[in-house]
Amino acid sequence: MSRSKAKRTMQTGVTAQGEPMVWLAGGMFAVACLMILSLLTLVLWQGLSTLWPRSYLVYVRPDGSLVTGELYGVRKEAASKKVYLRTGNYDVSNQHFLYADDADFASSEAWKPVDLWTVERKEWGNLYGFPKQLSWTDSTRERFAQDVRVALRETQKIDRALSHEKERLKQIDQRISKARLAIRAIELSEKVDLQSDIDEAVAAKFQAIQDRGVDSGVTPEVSSQATTNSAGWVPSRELSNAARKSIERYADVSLEAEAQMVSINEEIAKLEGMRGERVVTFELPITDPLGAIDWEWEQVRSGKIEDWSALQGIVPQLVADTGGSGESKAPENPSLQVEAIGEGQVIWELNRESKQPIRLVMRRSDDGKAEVFALREHAVVLADIVRFFAPNQMNLFQRLGVYLSRWWEFLLGEPREAGIEGGFFPAIWGTVVMTLIMSLAVMPFGVLAALYMREYAKRGLLLSIIRISINNLAGVPSIVYGVFGLSFFCYMVGGYIDGGPAKAGFDPWPSATWFSALAILAVVGIIAFSVAVLAGSLGTRGSKRKRYLRNASAVLWLATLFGIVVLLVRTPHFHGFYQAQLPNPTFGKGCLLWAACTLALLTLPVVIVATEEALAAVPNSLREGSYACGAGKWQTIHRIVLPYARPGIITGFILAMARGAGEVAPMMLVGAIPLATELPLDLEFPFLHGSRSFMHLGFQIYSLGFQSQNSEAAKPMVFTATLLLLTIVTLLNQTAIWLRARLRKRFQSSQF
Amino acid sequence: MNRLKAIADGQNVESVIHEEVLAKDAVLSIENFSLFYGRKQALHSISMPIAKGMVTALVGPSGCGKSTLLRSVNRMNDLIDSVRTQGDMLLNKESIFAPGVDVIQLRKRLGMVFQKPNPFPMSIFENVVYPLRIDGERDKSVLMEVCEHSLRGAALWDEVKDRLNESGLGLSGGQQQRLCIARAIASDPEVLLLDEPCSALDPIATSKIEDLIDKLRGEYSILIVTHNMQQASRISDHTAFMYLGRLVEMAETSTIFTRPRLRETEDYITGRFG
Repeated sequence: MSRSKAKRTMQTGVTAQGEPMVWLAGGMFAVACLMILSLLTLVLWQGLSTLWPRSYLVYVRPDGSLVTGELYGVRKEAASKKVYLRTGNYDVSNQHFLYADDADFASSEAWKPVDLWTVERKEWGNLYGFPKQLSWTDSTRERFAQDVRVALRETQKIDRALSHEKERLKQIDQRISKARLAIRAIELSEKVDLQSDIDEAVAAKFQAIQDRGVDSGVTPEVSSQATTNSAGWVPSRELSNAARKSIERYADVSLEAEAQMVSINEEIAKLEGMRGERVVTFELPITDPLGAIDWEWEQVRSGKIEDWSALQGIVPQLVADTGGSGESKAPENPSLQVEAIGEGQVIWELNRESKQPIRLVMRRSDDGKAEVFALREHAVVLADIVRFFAPNQMNLFQRLGVYLSRWWEFLLGEPREAGIEGGFFPAIWGTVVMTLIMSLAVMPFGVLAALYMREYAKRGLLLSIIRISINNLAGVPSIVYGVFGLSFFCYMVGGYIDGGPAKAGFDPWPSATWFSALAILAVVGIIAFSVAVLAGSLGTRGSKRKRYLRNASAVLWLATLFGIVVLLVRTPHFHGFYQAQLPNPTFGKGCLLWAACTLALLTLPVVIVATEEALAAVPNSLREGSYACGAGKWQTIHRIVLPYARPGIITGFILAMARGAGEVAPMMLVGAIPLATELPLDLEFPFLHGSRSFMHLGFQIYSLGFQSQNSEAAKPMVFTATLLLLTIVTLLNQTAIWLRARLRKRFQSSQF
Repeated sequence: MNRLKAIADGQNVESVIHEEVLAKDAVLSIENFSLFYGRKQALHSISMPIAKGMVTALVGPSGCGKSTLLRSVNRMNDLIDSVRTQGDMLLNKESIFAPGVDVIQLRKRLGMVFQKPNPFPMSIFENVVYPLRIDGERDKSVLMEVCEHSLRGAALWDEVKDRLNESGLGLSGGQQQRLCIARAIASDPEVLLLDEPCSALDPIATSKIEDLIDKLRGEYSILIVTHNMQQASRISDHTAFMYLGRLVEMAETSTIFTRPRLRETEDYITGRFG
């Protein structure tokens, strides 16, 4: 007997089929799905619900103080429930949100004041209050909404005119600084100080205008147009032609601008005045306790109160209003208006005839008596109102209308309140533009590098080491790239562009040394070229001499490249393109261009790896077929290999985009800022502004949620921004995937 | 069997080439051609003529160097780093392996079809005119003319004339192989090299390709590698039997299959060996 036979049974054991493994694997799959789902649900729910207009609630504490706010959430705890209220009225209450415990309230039922308005303002966040008076018109409470709406449309015209004037101011400013920069450039190139000449020129020209103004009896401002033609200034010392011209130009421009600026500033002041003219007065619910009053509710509601003294203790103001002085004296004949504002609630208006009537809110307390709350007046400049609505009397469709209008503003509007409110358009735009530039920058680099590694480079140890290093680069923390981008792109390359080698931290060589080095480099370059040509002309393959020549030419080429870099860095003849602007950096700081470059570097490994895999997947038979047709190497690569690998290469593009769009850490260092006034890509020449800082959604999430002045108020916005970022990344990816699918269809319809 | 044994032992054995083959006008003549993969010798001093306008079949057991010899004709083996050659081949009296030869220009004079159909990932039209495209031909009428001529030559025109702009990968296997043949003859080659063109095809597609080769006879000189004895006997004018990198016997096909001079050849042909 050599070996015993395997045991045979009628059933396969559990180890063979491994049912437990199915459960284990399926369970893990379920956990993964659950995580994704819960993340998506959280972001979707929080993100979508943030902009929904909610009801405004007023709770009463036993001591009579109020807890008020827009209801943002209810959290149930063991015995009680907690309400999360947005209090708004930050300028009065100094608080945005509060948590309150249900158990603390006198009654768990909240009062929903019907004619309360939610007012979104350009500053100070939301205001919640009862509209009381419109400064520009005598209108009744019922017509307030309509009147305000009409008036808002008119103020928008004023705002537009204002921004137009401000734009003009900006342009004038730019003209002056451009003229000043021209002089500065001449100062730098001629090494002279022209400040005294500028002062002289401006003074002389100003004098000339005034003289003429006196002569002709026209005010200087009006005749300023004429100055451009007259000289009016003779330089007191020898100046170059260019210097004289630029100084004259500066003097003309600045004098003309001064004249214009006076009128523009007047116009602005006028518009600002108009803007501030119209005011809406609101009454804000005051949370401070006023107390309960021992009146029967029915009496209160009908307004038939005879003994006013009880109210006296609660509202001391009454004394002043009725002319009393310290004596506790009830108002003699108060004229009273009672208005029902909800079930069990009324607004009392005392002394309607007087200039400042007192309004009180009365509410029926549980024991059938009345509780008193005062209202505080607060004026809001009409032009500061962005949007208003009465949250407690809106139906679903009206709410939906507000919701959509808020989304509209969110997607296309400018940020308000340091980004907590209003639009995210600059951030969306910045993210998209930066991601696209990054993708465009990384693709040629990555694809060509992968092409060399896969199609040209000789396989060997060196190539393997390089490949492993590139793969590992993909795992380097992104902040490291940020630091690198800041020190290399921003400070070195950007500094070089701004102010030449000296600004980038290199000492330039003396001119003679530099030119000798240039001559040597030229010779080396020519030798390298001829050696390469010679090596190519040697037909015999694999011969020792040819290999030697090829290696030599490669070394010489590398030396030439290195030499070019050294020469660029050490040149004494380049002083930067933006030297006149210094010390203000143009490219020598974080900006769109360097952010895109840093991200391109970060995503380079992804692109290289994906492209290499795509190239490796091209069947060799295709390459052979092409060679057999008499195609050269490049023809084969360009006509067969690259088209075949294109879907795979685009996969790399998609991966790079997905990684790049969501990256935040390096952005903080190389160009993203929380609030940018200018877009990186706009209609102003040259359209794409690489040297501008920009807003980035990912960075916005971070800065809103954790860096802003009041992150509590910003928290709902964080989720909305997250939702937006996810949507944008998904959209970008879907576009690329759609593109890839289209390309695939072109080549590989039905196989066999 | 002695010869084959001698070859296996590494001895030098004279090839037998029949006079009627030598008498023909040769378009390609292989002269003492040897090839090494690194240190291993794959072809041993092979000399043989490929007759003009005829079909020459290379037969022999696997690994005998048929494909290597075929791929040496258009110097496809240059793509492998370790390959080294001795001897020469003359294509219409011009050397193929001389130092100054431009390989790309050489390949343009030869057409090659591979074992597995390898249409390019482009339209049928672009597949056929690829050799002209890489020469920079842009004239649409010229391209169209060549395309039609080649597709007709490859007996594919009627099947694809209505869908020239569809992907070449959408064709069936046999159609793909005929497309590759059309591509190979588009540049009007001096010799057409077929490397087991039917081995990946079903019998019907195979017979179509064989008909096509028969049709191309006379117009093109064809060198075909095949494993299939029947196929060699059906389509070729001359047959060369190779063994372990050496040419054993070469003669007119009818002679090889009916009365070869060597016993070893007969054994192989009849299936008693190999």
